[in-house]
Amino acid sequence: MISNSGRIVGAVEIGTGKIAVLVGEIARGRELNIIGVGLAQSHGVMKGEVVDYKAACEATHHALEMAEKKAGARMDAIWLAQTGGHLDGFANEATVNVQSADNTVNQLDIETVCNLAQQKDLPPGRTRIHAIRRPFRLDGRAVPDPEHLTGSRLDVGYWMVHGQESKVSDNIHVVGGYHLEVRELVLSSLAAGSLLTTTEERSHGALVLDIGKGVTDYVLYRDGHVLTTGVLPVGGDHLTNDLAIGLRVTTMQAEMLKLRHGRGTVQTRDKSEKVWLNGDMSFGDRQFPKAAIETITAARTLELLEVVRAQLGAKFAPEHCGAGVFLTGGTSKLPGIEEAAGRVFGLSARRGEAPSWVKDELKDPMFSTVLGIYQFGLRAAHEHPNPVRRKTGLLSGLAKIFS
Amino acid sequence: MSADSATARAGRSWREIRQEVTPRAMSRKGRFRQRLEWLKISVLTAIVGGLAGVIYLAVHTWLDDRAALAAIVESDPVRQVSVETDGTLNRKWVEDVLALPRGTTLMELDLPALRDRLQSTGQVRVAVVKRSFPDMLAVTLQERTPVARMQVQVGLGPPRQFFVAKDGVVYDGFNYNPTMVATLPWLDGVRLKRDGKGFAPVAGMDAVADLLVTAQLQAPLLYRDWLVVSLAHLQERDEIIVKSQEIPEIIFSRTEDFFKQVARLDYIADRARQLPQPGQIQSINLALGGQVPVKLTTLPDDPARPANPSKFPLQPTNSQRKGPRDL
Repeated sequence: MISNSGRIVGAVEIGTGKIAVLVGEIARGRELNIIGVGLAQSHGVMKGEVVDYKAACEATHHALEMAEKKAGARMDAIWLAQTGGHLDGFANEATVNVQSADNTVNQLDIETVCNLAQQKDLPPGRTRIHAIRRPFRLDGRAVPDPEHLTGSRLDVGYWMVHGQESKVSDNIHVVGGYHLEVRELVLSSLAAGSLLTTTEERSHGALVLDIGKGVTDYVLYRDGHVLTTGVLPVGGDHLTNDLAIGLRVTTMQAEMLKLRHGRGTVQTRDKSEKVWLNGDMSFGDRQFPKAAIETITAARTLELLEVVRAQLGAKFAPEHCGAGVFLTGGTSKLPGIEEAAGRVFGLSARRGEAPSWVKDELKDPMFSTVLGIYQFGLRAAHEHPNPVRRKTGLLSGLAKIFS
Repeated sequence: MSADSATARAGRSWREIRQEVTPRAMSRKGRFRQRLEWLKISVLTAIVGGLAGVIYLAVHTWLDDRAALAAIVESDPVRQVSVETDGTLNRKWVEDVLALPRGTTLMELDLPALRDRLQSTGQVRVAVVKRSFPDMLAVTLQERTPVARMQVQVGLGPPRQFFVAKDGVVYDGFNYNPTMVATLPWLDGVRLKRDGKGFAPVAGMDAVADLLVTAQLQAPLLYRDWLVVSLAHLQERDEIIVKSQEIPEIIFSRTEDFFKQVARLDYIADRARQLPQPGQIQSINLALGGQVPVKLTTLPDDPARPANPSKFPLQPTNSQRKGPRDL
């Protein structure tokens, strides 16, 4: 469970394109009031990983300072989003036989199976970010909380997310350079998924894609639980670079063309239709075929989505993903990307929308992750999703003795 | 997650990563925040330290500097001293001992010192001295009870009578009833040592007190005649020697049960009175366990009678049990 002892908590996303900071006032452990926003262009970050500590610090601290100024308050702690191509995950399962004579599952059985399911050593240099529990299975049937139910065999699985320790440390130390403590680390995809999908949508099955500038984070929900997560070191930059190469323009010009005329699918039929580079008739302004821009961006978009599909592999099945595909992140603003995603995944795809409680100025997809950090943290704190945390005091102690 | 945090047991968690960074790795704003936090901690520490200092000073003043405290706390001069005691001391004696300067206020009084002054007199075992605002000093006393008395030569003056309590404390008793004092035996065979203004406690008085109390309760007629209790052989032989009006030497053992010894003494004294030709008992030694040597002196009109110690059967016959007994 995420601790929220600090009254003023900041949510920070250190992305490849931008650094977003929100300052939230948490009352009574679950009521959030966002009182400050800080946004800065990112420097020293590539593919979600810090490559220039000083530049990343400058940019992040600028955003933090801006947010604190707007909030008029100092943050006590930070909940930090974590992304990067170094992140990986694996599923680990465990099974125990129910110990009691009457085959009633008790707290000790649950605790034992949960411990076993998490006991897997990581390779050297890796550190665990999350251990996400999947539903318990009692004699094969899925149950949210098996305590006091009758059965003989209890299974549970965990989706373990881990990353390279040095890269996670770099991310944390960027915040530490501002003399702030990182209280929680939340996977970016989980944060975005938590904000954009409802409990019902997650129970129907949903795929959330957060396509940023440098990386694409995804999370696949099935039966209300996280089935898998992943990060691809491919994002909007991929489209920009191909445009720059294909049209022989600078990266900045390519970025501008992408934002103005890029699409996820080709719409323009007239190959002679051209668009201006700057549009101000200034010296050096040039014209480019609109269809060429759309063709390049659509091809790269499809390629990106195909890579996600390939990485999901057999875990993704359209029939188990009834709620469809949710797109967010800066690149999700590309027109026609929903249609491209629909084609690749064989499902309805749409741009994720922030819930109604989010202020209009924060409904832009670039705030999905930072807002989601709060949503994820507060929901986890509220729901107490892991029954292992409940203790029965004396009885639990006695059970341990007699075990 | 942090369902995960609930179960962060196996493997190395990101929480184990050290978050502190060196000041060089901090931005200017970060260093400013760090210094601000240090400043906060310093100020907080100074406030806590200051409070602790004030408390220390207050306690120190309370204990040691009454005058300063009196200047802070307003109180009236002491007009009355109330005394409660379980013994014979009275208010005048307490006032004399305390010797409070005239016009002294309640807050100026050093209560621990006054308590010590009362307890140093010897007769007071426990003294409780309290302020009773606005102007009364309340004194509650628990006194020592004398077990024996002594004649002591102090300086060049005439010998003075002192009292000895069960705990061996020797003191100059005040206001005791002369009749009660007359019943107390004299203590002999004791070498008193100076201890400050008084004397060091007499060792072995607890045993003497036990013997005297046993005798007083079990054989009051015998006890009435006891004149002197000698501790001369207490240390080396564990013997308490009593001199009474009838018998010049009664030897008790500290290690034996006093009740049995007194009972035997009573019996022997009875038997001695009933002898057809009673002699004068010189000595009874009760410190030898089952054997009780009794030394008799023959009367002048019976020169043939030897002056050897006689022995009495220790178990009285039935007819003897019916006779007059103190027991």
